[in-house]
Amino acid sequence: MLTTAVLRTELVKNLRRPRTYVAYGILMLIPIIMAVAIQLNPPSVTGEGRLLYLASQTGLILPAFALRVTSFLLLVIIVALFGGDAIAGEASWGNLRYILMRPVRRGRLVFAKFVVAVFCAWVAVFLVVVTGLVVGVIFFGSDPINISFGFFSFSESTGDILAHLGVATVYVAWSMTGVVAFSFMVSCMTDVPFGAILAGVGLYFTSQILDQITSLGNIRYVLPTHYFDAWVDLVTRGVWHSDLWRGAGLQLGYVLLFALIGLWWFKRKDILS
Amino acid sequence: MTEAVVEIIGLSKRFGAGVLAVDDLTFSVERGQVCGLLGPNGAGKTTCLRVLLGLVRPTGGEARIFGERIRPSSDQLRRVGTLIESAAFVPHLSGMRNLRLWWDAGGDKWADADVDTALAIADLGSAIDRKVKTYSQGMRQRLGLARVLLGRPEVLVLDEPTNGLDPGEMREVRQLVRRVSEAGATVLFSSHILAEVEQICTHAVVMDKGKLVAAGSVDALIGSAGAVYLEVDDVEAAKRVLGELPMVRRIDDEAPGIAVAIDGGPRSELVAALVRAGIAVETVTARRRLEDAFLGLVEAF
Repeated sequence: MLTTAVLRTELVKNLRRPRTYVAYGILMLIPIIMAVAIQLNPPSVTGEGRLLYLASQTGLILPAFALRVTSFLLLVIIVALFGGDAIAGEASWGNLRYILMRPVRRGRLVFAKFVVAVFCAWVAVFLVVVTGLVVGVIFFGSDPINISFGFFSFSESTGDILAHLGVATVYVAWSMTGVVAFSFMVSCMTDVPFGAILAGVGLYFTSQILDQITSLGNIRYVLPTHYFDAWVDLVTRGVWHSDLWRGAGLQLGYVLLFALIGLWWFKRKDILS
Repeated sequence: MTEAVVEIIGLSKRFGAGVLAVDDLTFSVERGQVCGLLGPNGAGKTTCLRVLLGLVRPTGGEARIFGERIRPSSDQLRRVGTLIESAAFVPHLSGMRNLRLWWDAGGDKWADADVDTALAIADLGSAIDRKVKTYSQGMRQRLGLARVLLGRPEVLVLDEPTNGLDPGEMREVRQLVRRVSEAGATVLFSSHILAEVEQICTHAVVMDKGKLVAAGSVDALIGSAGAVYLEVDDVEAAKRVLGELPMVRRIDDEAPGIAVAIDGGPRSELVAALVRAGIAVETVTARRRLEDAFLGLVEAF
Protein backbone atom coordinates (compact mmCIF):
# COMPACT_ATOMS: atom_id res chain seq x y z
CA MET A 1 0.00 0.00 0.00
CA LEU A 2 2.71 2.48 1.05
CA THR A 3 4.99 1.32 -1.74
CA THR A 4 2.16 1.87 -4.22
CA ALA A 5 1.64 5.38 -2.83
CA VAL A 6 5.32 6.25 -3.28
CA LEU A 7 5.38 4.69 -6.75
CA ARG A 8 2.36 6.74 -7.77
CA THR A 9 3.84 10.02 -6.50
CA GLU A 10 7.16 9.36 -8.23
CA LEU A 11 5.39 8.51 -11.48
CA VAL A 12 3.34 11.71 -11.33
CA LYS A 13 6.51 13.76 -10.79
CA ASN A 14 8.10 12.27 -13.91
CA LEU A 15 5.05 12.28 -16.13
CA ARG A 16 4.31 15.92 -15.33
CA ARG A 17 7.86 16.97 -16.06
CA PRO A 18 8.44 18.80 -19.36
CA ARG A 19 11.92 17.29 -19.80
CA THR A 20 10.36 13.83 -20.04
CA TYR A 21 8.30 14.90 -23.03
CA VAL A 22 11.15 16.83 -24.63
CA ALA A 23 13.28 13.69 -24.43
CA TYR A 24 10.50 11.53 -25.86
CA GLY A 25 9.80 14.08 -28.58
CA ILE A 26 13.43 14.14 -29.71
CA LEU A 27 13.50 10.34 -29.82
CA MET A 28 10.29 10.21 -31.85
CA LEU A 29 11.74 12.65 -34.38
CA ILE A 30 14.60 10.32 -35.26
CA PRO A 31 12.54 7.64 -37.12
CA ILE A 32 10.66 10.38 -38.96
CA ILE A 33 13.90 12.02 -40.12
CA MET A 34 15.27 8.60 -41.11
CA ALA A 35 12.18 7.75 -43.18
CA VAL A 36 12.37 11.05 -45.05
CA ALA A 37 16.13 10.63 -45.63
CA ILE A 38 15.75 7.06 -46.92
CA GLN A 39 12.86 8.10 -49.17
CA LEU A 40 14.87 10.95 -50.66
CA ASN A 41 18.09 8.97 -50.98
CA PRO A 42 17.37 5.21 -51.10
CA PRO A 43 20.31 2.95 -50.18
CA SER A 44 21.64 0.36 -52.62
CA VAL A 45 21.78 -3.34 -51.77
CA THR A 46 25.57 -3.27 -51.99
CA GLY A 47 25.89 -0.05 -50.08
CA GLU A 48 25.70 1.21 -46.51
CA GLY A 49 24.51 -1.75 -44.55
CA ARG A 50 22.07 -4.59 -44.43
CA LEU A 51 19.73 -3.06 -41.82
CA LEU A 52 19.49 0.25 -43.68
CA TYR A 53 18.78 -1.53 -46.95
CA LEU A 54 16.09 -3.73 -45.38
CA ALA A 55 14.51 -0.64 -43.80
CA SER A 56 14.09 0.80 -47.28
CA GLN A 57 12.38 -2.40 -48.46
CA THR A 58 9.72 -2.69 -45.78
CA GLY A 59 8.52 -0.23 -43.18
CA LEU A 60 8.50 -3.04 -40.62
CA ILE A 61 12.31 -2.89 -40.41
CA LEU A 62 12.56 0.90 -40.06
CA PRO A 63 11.96 0.74 -36.26
CA ALA A 64 14.85 -1.72 -35.92
CA PHE A 65 17.12 0.64 -37.84
CA ALA A 66 15.95 3.56 -35.69
CA LEU A 67 16.61 1.49 -32.58
CA ARG A 68 20.14 0.68 -33.73
CA VAL A 69 21.00 4.27 -34.61
CA THR A 70 19.54 5.82 -31.43
CA SER A 71 21.11 3.22 -29.16
CA PHE A 72 24.57 4.38 -30.25
CA LEU A 73 24.16 7.65 -28.32
CA LEU A 74 20.80 9.38 -28.00
CA LEU A 75 18.94 6.58 -26.29
CA VAL A 76 21.88 6.04 -23.93
CA ILE A 77 21.88 9.71 -22.92
CA ILE A 78 18.13 9.74 -22.36
CA VAL A 79 17.95 6.57 -20.27
CA ALA A 80 20.98 7.80 -18.27
CA LEU A 81 19.02 11.01 -17.70
CA PHE A 82 16.11 9.09 -16.20
CA GLY A 83 18.41 7.04 -13.96
CA GLY A 84 20.85 9.78 -13.00
CA ASP A 85 18.25 12.40 -12.20
CA ALA A 86 16.10 10.14 -10.03
CA ILE A 87 17.62 10.73 -6.58
CA ALA A 88 20.24 13.41 -7.25
CA GLY A 89 17.68 15.61 -9.04
CA GLU A 90 15.37 15.49 -6.04
CA ALA A 91 18.36 16.25 -3.79
CA SER A 92 19.41 19.20 -5.94
CA TRP A 93 15.91 20.70 -5.53
CA GLY A 94 16.26 20.22 -1.76
CA ASN A 95 13.04 18.20 -1.76
CA LEU A 96 14.65 14.84 -0.93
CA ARG A 97 14.89 15.65 2.77
CA TYR A 98 11.20 16.51 2.94
CA ILE A 99 10.18 13.18 1.39
CA LEU A 100 12.38 11.32 3.88
CA MET A 101 10.94 13.33 6.77
CA ARG A 102 7.35 12.55 5.67
CA PRO A 103 8.61 9.84 6.52
CA VAL A 104 9.13 7.57 3.52
CA ARG A 105 11.47 4.67 4.19
CA ARG A 106 14.70 4.95 2.25
CA GLY A 107 14.48 1.46 0.77
CA ARG A 108 10.94 2.12 -0.39
CA LEU A 109 11.93 5.42 -1.99
CA VAL A 110 14.91 3.86 -3.79
CA PHE A 111 12.70 1.04 -5.07
CA ALA A 112 9.99 3.42 -6.32
CA LYS A 113 12.43 5.80 -7.96
CA PHE A 114 14.30 2.95 -9.66
CA VAL A 115 11.11 1.36 -10.98
CA VAL A 116 9.91 4.70 -12.34
CA ALA A 117 13.31 5.43 -13.95
CA VAL A 118 13.31 2.02 -15.63
CA PHE A 119 9.70 2.50 -16.73
CA CYS A 120 10.52 5.88 -18.31
CA ALA A 121 13.55 4.35 -20.06
CA TRP A 122 11.49 1.48 -21.44
CA VAL A 123 8.84 3.90 -22.67
CA ALA A 124 11.63 5.73 -24.52
CA VAL A 125 12.69 2.51 -26.29
CA PHE A 126 9.12 1.56 -27.14
CA LEU A 127 8.38 5.06 -28.48
CA VAL A 128 11.28 4.75 -30.94
CA VAL A 129 9.90 1.43 -32.15
CA VAL A 130 6.24 2.46 -32.32
CA THR A 131 7.05 5.73 -34.08
CA GLY A 132 9.36 3.87 -36.45
CA LEU A 133 6.68 1.30 -37.19
CA VAL A 134 3.99 3.86 -37.93
CA VAL A 135 6.26 6.05 -40.05
CA GLY A 136 7.86 3.03 -41.72
CA VAL A 137 4.53 1.56 -42.80
CA ILE A 138 3.38 4.96 -44.09
CA PHE A 139 6.56 5.50 -46.12
CA PHE A 140 7.59 1.98 -47.16
CA GLY A 141 4.55 -0.26 -46.60
CA SER A 142 4.31 -3.45 -44.58
CA ASP A 143 5.34 -6.09 -47.10
CA PRO A 144 7.21 -9.21 -46.02
CA ILE A 145 10.87 -9.45 -46.96
CA ASN A 146 11.83 -11.41 -50.03
CA ILE A 147 15.26 -10.42 -51.32
CA SER A 148 17.67 -12.33 -53.48
CA PHE A 149 20.71 -10.48 -54.76
CA GLY A 150 23.88 -12.50 -55.24
CA PHE A 151 25.06 -13.75 -51.86
CA PHE A 152 22.45 -11.58 -50.15
CA SER A 153 19.26 -13.63 -49.94
CA PHE A 154 16.70 -13.19 -47.18
CA SER A 155 12.99 -13.96 -46.86
CA GLU A 156 10.78 -13.42 -43.85
CA SER A 157 7.03 -13.23 -43.33
CA THR A 158 5.35 -10.18 -41.82
CA GLY A 159 4.56 -12.16 -38.66
CA ASP A 160 8.19 -13.23 -38.21
CA ILE A 161 9.46 -9.71 -38.79
CA LEU A 162 7.12 -8.35 -36.15
CA ALA A 163 7.98 -11.16 -33.72
CA HIS A 164 11.72 -10.52 -34.16
CA LEU A 165 11.16 -6.78 -33.83
CA GLY A 166 9.32 -7.41 -30.57
CA VAL A 167 12.20 -9.49 -29.21
CA ALA A 168 14.70 -6.84 -30.33
CA THR A 169 12.70 -4.11 -28.59
CA VAL A 170 12.55 -6.00 -25.32
CA TYR A 171 16.25 -6.87 -25.60
CA VAL A 172 17.31 -3.24 -26.22
CA ALA A 173 15.05 -2.03 -23.39
CA TRP A 174 16.61 -4.60 -21.05
CA SER A 175 20.14 -3.70 -22.21
CA MET A 176 19.41 -0.04 -21.50
CA THR A 177 18.28 -1.00 -18.00
CA GLY A 178 21.95 -1.64 -17.16
CA VAL A 179 22.76 1.97 -18.11
CA VAL A 180 19.78 3.20 -16.05
CA ALA A 181 20.93 1.12 -13.07
CA PHE A 182 24.48 2.49 -13.19
CA SER A 183 23.31 6.11 -13.45
CA PHE A 184 20.84 5.42 -10.66
CA MET A 185 23.56 3.97 -8.45
CA VAL A 186 25.68 7.12 -8.88
CA SER A 187 22.53 9.20 -8.34
CA CYS A 188 22.20 7.58 -4.91
CA MET A 189 25.73 8.71 -4.06
CA THR A 190 25.72 12.33 -5.24
CA ASP A 191 23.59 15.45 -5.13
CA VAL A 192 24.68 16.46 -8.63
CA PRO A 193 22.33 14.96 -11.24
CA PHE A 194 24.54 15.92 -14.16
CA GLY A 195 27.39 13.88 -12.70
CA ALA A 196 25.19 10.82 -12.36
CA ILE A 197 23.89 11.17 -15.93
CA LEU A 198 27.42 11.61 -17.23
CA ALA A 199 28.52 8.52 -15.29
CA GLY A 200 25.93 6.39 -17.08
CA VAL A 201 26.94 7.69 -20.50
CA GLY A 202 30.60 7.32 -19.52
CA LEU A 203 30.10 3.69 -18.52
CA TYR A 204 28.56 2.95 -21.91
CA PHE A 205 31.35 4.56 -23.90
CA THR A 206 34.14 3.19 -21.72
CA SER A 207 32.71 -0.28 -22.09
CA GLN A 208 32.34 0.14 -25.88
CA ILE A 209 35.94 1.34 -26.20
CA LEU A 210 37.32 -1.48 -24.06
CA ASP A 211 35.29 -3.95 -26.09
CA GLN A 212 37.29 -2.94 -29.17
CA ILE A 213 40.56 -4.00 -27.52
CA THR A 214 40.67 -7.66 -28.50
CA SER A 215 43.80 -8.29 -26.43
CA LEU A 216 41.63 -7.99 -23.34
CA GLY A 217 40.53 -11.54 -24.13
CA ASN A 218 37.74 -13.03 -22.06
CA ILE A 219 37.34 -9.84 -20.01
CA ARG A 220 35.46 -8.38 -22.97
CA TYR A 221 32.68 -10.92 -22.44
CA VAL A 222 31.74 -9.38 -19.11
CA LEU A 223 31.77 -5.79 -20.30
CA PRO A 224 28.27 -4.31 -19.87
CA THR A 225 27.89 -3.43 -23.56
CA HIS A 226 29.55 -6.51 -25.10
CA TYR A 227 26.25 -8.09 -26.16
CA PHE A 228 24.35 -4.85 -26.84
CA ASP A 229 24.08 -5.57 -30.59
CA ALA A 230 23.30 -9.29 -30.30
CA TRP A 231 19.75 -8.64 -31.54
CA VAL A 232 20.78 -7.26 -34.95
CA ASP A 233 21.23 -10.63 -36.65
CA LEU A 234 17.79 -11.67 -35.45
CA VAL A 235 16.22 -8.85 -37.47
CA THR A 236 18.54 -8.83 -40.48
CA ARG A 237 19.07 -12.58 -40.91
CA GLY A 238 16.39 -14.21 -38.76
CA VAL A 239 19.18 -15.88 -36.70
CA TRP A 240 18.64 -16.35 -32.96
CA HIS A 241 22.11 -16.20 -31.33
CA SER A 242 22.75 -17.63 -27.90
CA ASP A 243 24.44 -14.25 -27.29
CA LEU A 244 20.93 -12.88 -26.73
CA TRP A 245 20.60 -15.04 -23.62
CA ARG A 246 24.14 -14.24 -22.50
CA GLY A 247 23.49 -10.52 -22.94
CA ALA A 248 20.21 -10.70 -21.02
CA GLY A 249 21.84 -12.64 -18.19
CA LEU A 250 24.83 -10.29 -18.04
CA GLN A 251 22.52 -7.28 -17.80
CA LEU A 252 20.53 -8.97 -15.05
CA GLY A 253 23.72 -9.29 -13.03
CA TYR A 254 24.70 -5.68 -13.60
CA VAL A 255 21.20 -4.34 -12.91
CA LEU A 256 21.04 -6.20 -9.60
CA LEU A 257 24.60 -5.23 -8.67
CA PHE A 258 24.20 -1.51 -9.42
CA ALA A 259 20.73 -1.25 -7.87
CA LEU A 260 21.79 -3.02 -4.68
CA ILE A 261 24.94 -0.89 -4.31
CA GLY A 262 22.77 2.21 -4.79
CA LEU A 263 20.33 1.01 -2.15
CA TRP A 264 23.11 0.09 0.29
CA TRP A 265 24.77 3.46 -0.14
CA PHE A 266 21.59 5.50 0.13
CA LYS A 267 20.44 3.73 3.27
CA ARG A 268 23.66 4.77 4.99
CA LYS A 269 23.98 8.22 3.52
CA ASP A 270 23.70 11.45 5.52
CA ILE A 271 21.17 13.69 3.77
CA LEU A 272 22.80 17.11 3.71
CA SER A 273 21.18 18.67 0.64
CA MET B 1 5.01 15.92 35.84
CA THR B 2 6.43 17.38 32.61
CA GLU B 3 6.96 15.21 29.56
CA ALA B 4 10.06 15.52 27.41
CA VAL B 5 8.81 15.50 23.82
CA VAL B 6 12.20 16.06 22.22
CA GLU B 7 15.35 14.68 23.83
CA ILE B 8 18.90 15.09 22.61
CA ILE B 9 21.10 12.79 24.66
CA GLY B 10 24.91 12.90 24.47
CA LEU B 11 24.65 13.58 20.76
CA SER B 12 27.81 13.75 18.66
CA LYS B 13 28.29 13.95 14.93
CA ARG B 14 31.59 13.91 13.12
CA PHE B 15 31.60 14.25 9.33
CA GLY B 16 34.23 11.96 7.84
CA ALA B 17 37.51 12.15 9.70
CA GLY B 18 37.29 15.91 10.09
CA VAL B 19 34.67 18.28 11.40
CA LEU B 20 33.06 17.54 14.75
CA ALA B 21 29.77 19.33 14.10
CA VAL B 22 28.02 18.30 17.33
CA ASP B 23 29.92 17.32 20.46
CA ASP B 24 28.20 15.50 23.34
CA LEU B 25 25.09 17.68 23.21
CA THR B 26 22.27 17.09 25.69
CA PHE B 27 19.03 19.01 26.11
CA SER B 28 15.31 18.38 26.07
CA VAL B 29 12.15 20.21 25.07
CA GLU B 30 9.04 19.58 27.08
CA ARG B 31 5.44 19.43 25.91
CA GLY B 32 4.01 22.83 25.01
CA GLN B 33 7.36 24.63 25.10
CA VAL B 34 8.55 26.87 22.30
CA CYS B 35 12.28 26.33 22.43
CA GLY B 36 14.73 28.47 20.50
CA LEU B 37 17.92 26.81 19.32
CA LEU B 38 20.57 29.51 19.16
CA GLY B 39 24.16 29.61 18.10
CA PRO B 40 26.52 31.38 15.70
CA ASN B 41 27.01 30.04 12.17
CA GLY B 42 28.65 26.64 12.31
CA ALA B 43 27.50 26.00 15.88
CA GLY B 44 25.93 22.70 14.82
CA LYS B 45 22.26 23.69 15.08
CA THR B 46 21.19 22.37 11.67
CA THR B 47 23.18 19.16 12.11
CA CYS B 48 21.47 18.63 15.45
CA LEU B 49 18.05 19.13 13.83
CA ARG B 50 18.96 16.80 10.96
CA VAL B 51 19.86 14.05 13.39
CA LEU B 52 16.60 14.67 15.23
CA LEU B 53 14.72 14.22 11.96
CA GLY B 54 16.54 11.06 10.87
CA LEU B 55 18.42 12.66 7.98
CA VAL B 56 21.87 12.33 9.51
CA ARG B 57 23.18 9.41 11.54
CA PRO B 58 24.83 10.41 14.81
CA THR B 59 28.37 9.31 15.58
CA GLY B 60 27.39 8.98 19.23
CA GLY B 61 24.38 9.49 21.46
CA GLU B 62 20.83 9.66 20.26
CA ALA B 63 17.80 11.82 19.56
CA ARG B 64 14.34 10.90 20.81
CA ILE B 65 10.86 12.11 19.99
CA PHE B 66 8.06 11.05 22.34
CA GLY B 67 10.55 8.70 23.96
CA GLU B 68 11.35 6.78 20.79
CA ARG B 69 14.85 6.78 19.40
CA ILE B 70 14.87 8.41 15.99
CA ARG B 71 16.37 6.49 13.11
CA PRO B 72 16.03 7.29 9.40
CA SER B 73 12.31 7.34 8.50
CA SER B 74 11.12 6.61 12.06
CA ASP B 75 7.34 6.47 12.33
CA GLN B 76 7.41 9.14 15.05
CA LEU B 77 8.28 11.65 12.33
CA ARG B 78 4.62 11.46 11.24
CA ARG B 79 3.90 13.54 14.33
CA VAL B 80 6.43 16.20 13.36
CA GLY B 81 6.06 19.14 10.98
CA THR B 82 9.42 20.24 9.60
CA LEU B 83 11.03 23.11 7.81
CA ILE B 84 14.78 22.66 7.49
CA GLU B 85 16.98 25.47 6.12
CA SER B 86 14.61 26.46 3.33
CA ALA B 87 11.36 25.27 1.88
CA ALA B 88 12.00 23.11 -1.18
CA PHE B 89 9.58 21.62 -3.66
CA VAL B 90 9.33 19.95 -7.04
CA PRO B 91 9.66 23.07 -9.20
CA HIS B 92 7.64 21.96 -12.21
CA LEU B 93 4.54 21.15 -10.15
CA SER B 94 2.01 23.56 -8.65
CA GLY B 95 2.01 24.44 -4.96
CA MET B 96 -1.16 22.44 -4.46
CA ARG B 97 0.17 19.41 -6.34
CA ASN B 98 3.34 19.55 -4.25
CA LEU B 99 1.36 19.50 -1.00
CA ARG B 100 -0.80 16.66 -2.29
CA LEU B 101 2.11 14.51 -3.51
CA TRP B 102 4.08 15.03 -0.32
CA TRP B 103 1.11 14.00 1.76
CA ASP B 104 0.22 11.05 -0.50
CA ALA B 105 3.78 9.67 -0.29
CA GLY B 106 3.10 8.92 3.37
CA GLY B 107 0.12 6.77 2.44
CA ASP B 108 -2.39 8.81 4.47
CA LYS B 109 -5.80 9.99 3.28
CA TRP B 110 -5.86 13.49 1.84
CA ALA B 111 -8.98 14.18 3.88
CA ASP B 112 -6.87 13.85 7.06
CA ALA B 113 -4.38 16.52 5.97
CA ASP B 114 -6.55 19.47 7.10
CA VAL B 115 -5.42 21.24 3.97
CA ASP B 116 -7.78 24.21 4.41
CA THR B 117 -5.95 25.31 7.56
CA ALA B 118 -2.62 24.87 5.79
CA LEU B 119 -3.78 26.87 2.77
CA ALA B 120 -5.05 29.65 5.01
CA ILE B 121 -1.52 29.87 6.44
CA ALA B 122 0.10 29.88 3.02
CA ASP B 123 -2.29 32.61 1.85
CA LEU B 124 -1.14 32.14 -1.72
CA GLY B 125 -4.56 32.69 -3.31
CA SER B 126 -4.78 31.52 -6.90
CA ALA B 127 -0.97 31.17 -6.99
CA ILE B 128 -1.37 27.85 -5.16
CA ASP B 129 -2.21 26.40 -8.60
CA ARG B 130 0.85 27.92 -10.26
CA LYS B 131 4.10 26.05 -10.72
CA VAL B 132 6.42 26.47 -7.75
CA LYS B 133 9.28 27.58 -10.01
CA THR B 134 7.35 30.83 -10.56
CA TYR B 135 7.19 31.55 -6.79
CA SER B 136 9.26 34.13 -4.97
CA GLN B 137 11.41 33.01 -2.03
CA GLY B 138 8.76 34.32 0.37
CA MET B 139 5.98 32.39 -1.39
CA ARG B 140 8.01 29.19 -1.21
CA GLN B 141 8.64 29.73 2.46
CA ARG B 142 4.92 30.24 3.10
CA LEU B 143 4.10 27.11 1.13
CA GLY B 144 6.72 25.35 3.25
CA LEU B 145 4.94 26.51 6.39
CA ALA B 146 1.66 25.20 4.96
CA ARG B 147 3.33 21.81 4.47
CA VAL B 148 4.60 21.94 8.06
CA LEU B 149 1.01 22.15 9.29
CA LEU B 150 -0.48 19.39 7.12
CA GLY B 151 -1.98 16.74 9.36
CA ARG B 152 -1.87 18.97 12.48
CA PRO B 153 1.53 17.79 13.80
CA GLU B 154 2.19 17.65 17.54
CA VAL B 155 5.79 18.82 17.19
CA LEU B 156 7.18 21.52 14.92
CA VAL B 157 10.87 21.62 14.07
CA LEU B 158 11.62 24.86 12.28
CA ASP B 159 15.06 25.84 11.07
CA GLU B 160 15.24 29.54 10.18
CA PRO B 161 11.55 29.64 9.18
CA THR B 162 11.48 33.38 8.50
CA ASN B 163 14.27 33.26 5.91
CA GLY B 164 13.27 35.19 2.82
CA LEU B 165 10.14 36.70 4.36
CA ASP B 166 9.33 40.39 4.57
CA PRO B 167 8.70 41.98 8.01
CA GLY B 168 4.93 41.49 7.76
CA GLU B 169 5.33 37.82 6.85
CA MET B 170 7.86 37.35 9.64
CA ARG B 171 5.32 38.65 12.11
CA GLU B 172 2.73 36.25 10.69
CA VAL B 173 5.13 33.35 11.24
CA ARG B 174 5.68 34.41 14.84
CA GLN B 175 1.94 34.60 15.36
CA LEU B 176 1.54 31.20 13.76
CA VAL B 177 4.12 29.65 16.08
CA ARG B 178 2.34 31.19 19.05
CA ARG B 179 -1.03 29.87 17.84
CA VAL B 180 0.17 26.28 17.33
CA SER B 181 1.95 26.41 20.66
CA GLU B 182 -1.22 27.59 22.40
CA ALA B 183 -3.03 24.70 20.71
CA GLY B 184 -0.67 22.34 22.52
CA ALA B 185 2.10 21.75 19.97
CA THR B 186 5.75 21.66 21.01
CA VAL B 187 8.08 23.80 18.90
CA LEU B 188 11.83 23.63 18.41
CA PHE B 189 12.81 26.76 16.57
CA SER B 190 16.22 27.74 15.23
CA SER B 191 16.84 31.32 14.24
CA HIS B 192 19.59 33.90 13.88
CA ILE B 193 17.13 36.66 14.72
CA LEU B 194 17.44 36.81 18.48
CA ALA B 195 14.70 39.39 18.93
CA GLU B 196 12.39 36.93 17.18
CA VAL B 197 13.37 34.11 19.53
CA GLU B 198 12.95 36.43 22.48
CA GLN B 199 9.43 37.30 21.36
CA ILE B 200 8.08 33.81 20.77
CA CYS B 201 10.20 31.31 22.70
CA THR B 202 9.56 30.25 26.26
CA HIS B 203 12.89 28.42 26.42
CA ALA B 204 16.21 28.53 24.61
CA VAL B 205 19.22 26.32 24.05
CA VAL B 206 22.49 28.07 23.21
CA MET B 207 25.12 26.14 21.25
CA ASP B 208 28.61 26.98 20.10
CA LYS B 209 31.22 24.82 18.35
CA GLY B 210 28.85 21.85 18.60
CA LYS B 211 28.58 22.02 22.38
CA LEU B 212 25.87 23.12 24.75
CA VAL B 213 26.57 26.56 26.19
CA ALA B 214 23.39 27.14 28.16
CA ALA B 215 19.81 25.98 28.31
CA GLY B 216 16.80 27.16 30.22
CA SER B 217 13.90 29.55 30.13
CA VAL B 218 14.41 32.71 28.11
CA ASP B 219 13.80 34.80 31.23
CA ALA B 220 16.54 32.96 33.11
CA LEU B 221 19.01 33.32 30.23
CA ILE B 222 18.36 37.03 29.82
CA GLY B 223 18.87 37.52 33.56
CA SER B 224 22.44 36.31 33.35
CA ALA B 225 23.73 39.29 31.38
CA GLY B 226 22.96 42.94 30.77
CA ALA B 227 23.68 46.00 28.72
CA VAL B 228 23.36 49.76 29.00
CA TYR B 229 22.63 52.27 26.27
CA LEU B 230 24.30 55.64 26.81
CA GLU B 231 24.17 58.97 25.01
CA VAL B 232 27.11 61.23 25.89
CA ASP B 233 28.63 64.47 24.60
CA ASP B 234 31.92 62.82 23.57
CA VAL B 235 31.45 59.28 22.31
CA GLU B 236 35.14 58.52 21.64
CA ALA B 237 36.26 59.72 25.07
CA ALA B 238 33.46 57.72 26.70
CA LYS B 239 34.53 54.56 24.86
CA ARG B 240 38.10 55.07 26.12
CA VAL B 241 37.01 55.57 29.72
CA LEU B 242 34.53 52.70 29.77
CA GLY B 243 36.92 50.38 27.96
CA GLU B 244 39.24 50.50 31.00
CA LEU B 245 36.55 49.25 33.41
CA PRO B 246 36.80 45.50 34.20
CA MET B 247 33.00 45.05 34.22
CA VAL B 248 32.70 46.23 30.57
CA ARG B 249 32.73 43.35 28.12
CA ARG B 250 32.06 45.13 24.83
CA ILE B 251 31.19 48.55 23.48
CA ASP B 252 29.20 48.95 20.25
CA ASP B 253 28.33 52.13 18.38
CA GLU B 254 24.60 52.67 18.21
CA ALA B 255 24.29 56.20 16.88
CA PRO B 256 23.72 58.62 18.42
CA GLY B 257 24.95 56.67 21.51
CA ILE B 258 26.81 53.53 22.48
CA ALA B 259 25.68 50.14 23.77
CA VAL B 260 27.84 48.81 26.61
CA ALA B 261 27.66 45.09 27.43
CA ILE B 262 28.53 44.42 31.07
CA ASP B 263 29.19 41.37 33.21
CA GLY B 264 27.29 42.10 36.41
CA GLY B 265 28.21 45.13 38.53
CA PRO B 266 26.09 48.26 39.06
CA ARG B 267 25.32 50.45 36.05
CA SER B 268 25.92 53.50 38.24
CA GLU B 269 29.65 52.70 38.10
CA LEU B 270 29.60 53.41 34.37
CA VAL B 271 27.93 56.78 34.89
CA ALA B 272 30.26 57.66 37.76
CA ALA B 273 33.33 56.87 35.68
CA LEU B 274 32.10 59.05 32.84
CA VAL B 275 31.27 61.96 35.14
CA ARG B 276 34.69 61.71 36.82
CA ALA B 277 36.26 62.01 33.37
CA GLY B 278 34.25 65.16 32.66
CA ILE B 279 31.95 63.55 30.11
CA ALA B 280 28.35 64.71 30.16
CA VAL B 281 25.82 61.85 30.23
CA GLU B 282 22.54 62.74 28.55
CA THR B 283 20.74 59.39 28.43
CA VAL B 284 21.12 56.11 30.36
CA THR B 285 18.87 53.18 29.42
CA ALA B 286 19.22 49.78 31.03
CA ARG B 287 18.86 46.83 28.68
CA ARG B 288 18.54 43.13 29.32
CA ARG B 289 18.03 41.42 26.01
CA LEU B 290 18.50 37.95 24.70
CA GLU B 291 21.02 39.28 22.22
CA ASP B 292 23.22 40.52 25.05
CA ALA B 293 22.76 37.29 26.96
CA PHE B 294 23.56 35.24 23.87
CA LEU B 295 26.69 37.19 23.00
CA GLY B 296 27.82 37.11 26.61
CA LEU B 297 27.34 33.36 26.84
CA VAL B 298 29.03 32.58 23.54
CA GLU B 299 31.98 34.89 24.16
CA ALA B 300 32.51 33.47 27.63
CA PHE B 301 32.34 29.90 26.29
